[in-house]
Formats: sequence, structure tokens, C-alpha cells
Amino acid sequence: MIFTIFKKELKETLRDRRTLLMMIVIPVLIIPVILNISVGLMSNVEKEAASKEMRIGIVGKNDSFIAKELISVPSTFGKKKIRFYKDSLSLQKDLKSDNLDLGVVSDPQLEEKLQLKIPVAILWYFDGSEMGMEERAKGYMQFIESKALQKRLEELKINGAQIKPLLPIYKNIASDKEMIGKLAGGFLPYIFIAFGFMGCMYPAIDLFTGEKERGTIETMLVVPVARWKILFGKMGVVIISGLLASTFSLIGLYFSINYSETINIPEITNVIQSILTLKFIVILFSLLIPLTIFFAGILIPLAIYAKSFKEAQSIITPLNIVMIIPAMLVSFIPTFELSYSSACIPVINIVLASKDLIAGTLDYGMLAVSFLVMAVFAISSVFLSNYRFGKESNVSN
Amino acid sequence: MIEVNELRKIFPLTKQQKSELLTTDNHSIAVDSISFTCQPGKVYSLLGPNGAGKTTTLRMIATIFQPTSGSISVCGYDTVKEAESVRKKIGFLTGSTGLYGRLTPNELISYFAELYGVSKNDLAIRKQKLYDLLDMHEFQNKRIAKLSTGMKQKVNICRTMIHDPEVVIFDEPTSGLDVISAENIIELIKECKIQGKTVIFSSHIMSEVDLLCDDLAIINKGKLLYQGTMEEFRTNMQAENLTAEFIRIVRNS
Repeated sequence: MIFTIFKKELKETLRDRRTLLMMIVIPVLIIPVILNISVGLMSNVEKEAASKEMRIGIVGKNDSFIAKELISVPSTFGKKKIRFYKDSLSLQKDLKSDNLDLGVVSDPQLEEKLQLKIPVAILWYFDGSEMGMEERAKGYMQFIESKALQKRLEELKINGAQIKPLLPIYKNIASDKEMIGKLAGGFLPYIFIAFGFMGCMYPAIDLFTGEKERGTIETMLVVPVARWKILFGKMGVVIISGLLASTFSLIGLYFSINYSETINIPEITNVIQSILTLKFIVILFSLLIPLTIFFAGILIPLAIYAKSFKEAQSIITPLNIVMIIPAMLVSFIPTFELSYSSACIPVINIVLASKDLIAGTLDYGMLAVSFLVMAVFAISSVFLSNYRFGKESNVSN
Repeated sequence: MIEVNELRKIFPLTKQQKSELLTTDNHSIAVDSISFTCQPGKVYSLLGPNGAGKTTTLRMIATIFQPTSGSISVCGYDTVKEAESVRKKIGFLTGSTGLYGRLTPNELISYFAELYGVSKNDLAIRKQKLYDLLDMHEFQNKRIAKLSTGMKQKVNICRTMIHDPEVVIFDEPTSGLDVISAENIIELIKECKIQGKTVIFSSHIMSEVDLLCDDLAIINKGKLLYQGTMEEFRTNMQAENLTAEFIRIVRNS
């Protein structure tokens, strides 16, 4: 009988455009759309920054040390156009009115001080709200400084290697997979959780609140089938919908990485392709199943309580925030990691375990604890749903 | 047969309900110690104004609610201890009963037949008979949401009768229906009586009661005010017509 009810409810659900939209269309499209837009925007910004002609203002004459040195900076540092100012006030004014990108003011006695081997301050003006300006100024300064240092060493007849006793080498032992997993790995579980929840939401409202609103609940309650069987049949569809929404978001990710021309960063695509293995999918779904059951188990009592679609949505939307915001925060905080204590926090444990799974650093003991904790919460939520579904007030209210 | 014995139903009141009802009581007595018997082959009518306790009584008979005290027996089965056996024996239809709009009549009827354990062979025979009777062949594969109110009512009747119930419960079955759709229900009740089924229906439309019922009970505020045959009711009435007599009994209570 559970299967009979499940089949009927699934058929009805698959004929509901709103549910299909939330379960299939949006999960499949949203990741490619987000990735395409963000990667496209990022590469545009980078291209624009690289091709941008830097307007540099210098206080002083065109034969000054800093002017000559800046002019000698090779074109690999990007295009540049240099203007000269008599005072720093007019230079700053042009910077504020966006007529300049960088401004340089140096000591008037710069050349004398250089000869006397006294350190000389060089002041760089830039607008911090403009992306990349500080880096460009530091790049120019590094070039000029290293040239000046080289000249100084030659004058002093010193071998540069002799005054550099230590040669530090910083070696990153984390693989690309680990790096991406730890830094951006939260994005994937967050997406799966968000879509899993939304995938459960509409069928829960449709199959429970909808029975009340359409006036079919009495008919359902007089059939010779135990109420828990009716609940399980309906709940099965809610869970399947949540899992399908997560699956379709994974499919969307797969297709956007493999077939999108915009997302063409080999380092990232190679890592993501190496993450999407059969083992990864099996472990991910073993985590998503109790999580989705838990979502269904807490959504169903609320959907049963509500008298109309509108009321159900107004009750469930805050829950959506309660469930998804902590998951989102945890997803994007790299220092928040899976431990035996965080493995006991439902939902959060799944996000953290998924992050470690993506990074390839998953501890199977913690995975087991996360799974067990989530399974206990899932079973409790099923009991809660069963208790709520058996109440007479579902009909009398 | 339906046997109702000293039936009581008390609902707890929420704060909101208490303020709406302007009461400080924590409970509301919806049905207060009522007893009656509905015989096979007869139509029993439960009459009463809105809020009298008719729907609550019928829902207890249909096992949707459990009595606070008292007992109900349907075809010899207790509605609390043997709820599933009772459900197999009953057909339940209300004026506000909805249908699953995304299914077709064929899909819906097959679904309910499966839930009631009707064999494929019986389903085919009964479906054919009911489709002929209700003239449903033309729209059997259309989505229910796209059907007219009258067509939906026919589907609802077919759904109620597909498992050939011994007892049929109608809760204000014609409320909100147009004359033609209401006529389908009246014909169904007559047909059930001819077939020897036990029929109980609630109404406050005296013309329907006059036309259909053999026995009747009048209830108000959960209490049984009158019980007897329709014949006795007509003979003993003090007002000039049935509606006036019904109002007189309710007001005197």
C-alpha cells in the first residue's frame, strides 16, 4: 500500500509545474548560470585590468629620477601614460575626480640623497576603492627599487648574494584538490543542501497542506490503510524530490564544467573532474539521504499544521533561513572544520563532512559519527511527522 | 448496519478558539451522549443547524475522529478497535470533498480501488457499470482539474462506490452543488437504498429529507432532540410544514 500511495503521489508531483521547476529546472540551470556569470565577470575584470592604460601623475619635471625610472618600466607591466604636476594638491584633485589612477610624489632632494646613500621616501597616491591600483603601484615600486638596489650594490662593490644569508623557500604541500576543497569546497555542499531543502519544500506543501486545501484529506483518511503507511508513501515522494533536486544540481555542475566555454580554467576543471568520482558520489549521497529525510521530517509537520499554501509558505520560509544560513556560513569559513563535536551538530556536520570529502581529507570515524547523528535526527523527525499526521486536529481545524 | 451508543466527543479549545467563542471553558462538547441505529436498506437522516454536531458524528462513524466516550459499531466492527475493517465497509462523500486534479478519472478510480483491495476483475466490472450509469466514458481520460463541477461530482460518486460499500455516509452531499449535480446524489442515495445498503446522510434541507429518508434524528448543540421514522415525524408534527416543524423543535431545545 505504501508503494501504491508513493506511485500516485509521485505521478501527481511530476505533473506539477511548480514542483518540477524547483526540483529539476532551477537546480540544473542555476549552477551553470552562476558559474558562467561569475567566471565571465572575473575574466572580464582581469582582461580589463590588464589592458587598462595607467594614468600616472608625477610631481616634478620629466627629467627627474622617478620620471625616468617610471618611463623605463617595461610594457609587460601594462600600458601607462605619465603626466606631470607642479604640486601634490592638483595631483590629488585629479585622482579624486578620476582623471588619474596613480600619483607619485618624491623628495625634491631625491637625487642628492641617493648619492649620499640616505633612504628616500617615495609617496604613492591611489584610490583604494579601485581594484588592483595598490598592486600596480607596488609592482612599479618593486621594479624601480630593485634597479636602485642593484646600482647601489655595484657602487659598493658588493655581491648581492653575500648580503642575503638566508634563501627562504615556501613549499605548499596541499594538492590543488585539497586547496580547492578547503577554500571553495563549501560551495558544493551548500548548493546540495539548499536545493535538497527547496526540493522537499514544494512537494511537502503540495502533498500535505494541499490535501487540506483541495478538500481531499477526509477521503484519504477513510481508506483502509494505516495512517503511517499513507504518511510513508507521501514522505517517500518528498524525500525523492529533495534528492532529485540535489542530483540535478550536481548534473548542472558536471555539464557546466565539461561543456561551458566560459569556464575554461584547466586547474579548477581538472580538480573538479577528479572530485566527481563514483566513490565521492556514493559517500555524498549516503550523507544526503539522512539529511533529506530530516528535511522532509521537519517540513511535513509544518505543512500538516498549515491550512493553506500561503500559510505553509509563510511558516516554512523562516525555517529555510534557519536551516540554510548556518550551512552557508559554515560552508564559507575555511577555519570551521569537522571534529567529533561539530559532527554532532545536524546539517552543519553534513556540510563539513562534504567539504572534507571534496578536499580528500575525510576522517571516516567522523564521517560515521556525522552519519549516525543525522540518521538519529532523521528518524526522530519521521516520528514527529507520524505523530502530527495522526492528530485529529488536521481535519477539525 | 450502524449502531451508535452514548456517543460523546469533546474537543480541547485553543486560546484563539476560546476568544472567538467568547468562553473560558477549555473544552467544547461537540456531541453529547447520542444513540441511534441505522438499518440496512434504509436511509437515515441526521438533521440539525450549523454546528449541531452532525459532521463530527459522521466523522466518528467514518473513523476519522475517535469518540471521547461511547461506541460505534459498523457492520459489527468497532470503529476504534477495528478501524480498518470499518473503513473497508464504508463509502464517504461530503459536499466539499475534493479530488486530485492532476489525475484523470480513470487513474483516480484505479488508485482508490487498489487502496480498498478491489481485484482487477471486479474493478473492470464495477467501473464499466458506474461509468455507464453516470455517463462518464467521454471524460474518463481528461485531467480532473479540467472537468466541470458536475463531471467532478460524478467522479466523486464513482470513487465512493467503487469498492461497493455496505454503508454509505453522506455529509451534506448536495451543499454547494447546482440542481443537476445535486440530482446525481439524490439518485445515488435512492440506488443505495434499493441495493440494501445502510445509508446515513446529514442535511438541513427538508425537501431532500422528505424525499429520501426513512428514519431521522434531529440534533442541536450536540444533543439528540428527536428520533423516529419519517412517517411518525409527519404524523406528529405541530407546525404547518416540515421545515417549520424542524425549526420549532430546534428552537424549543
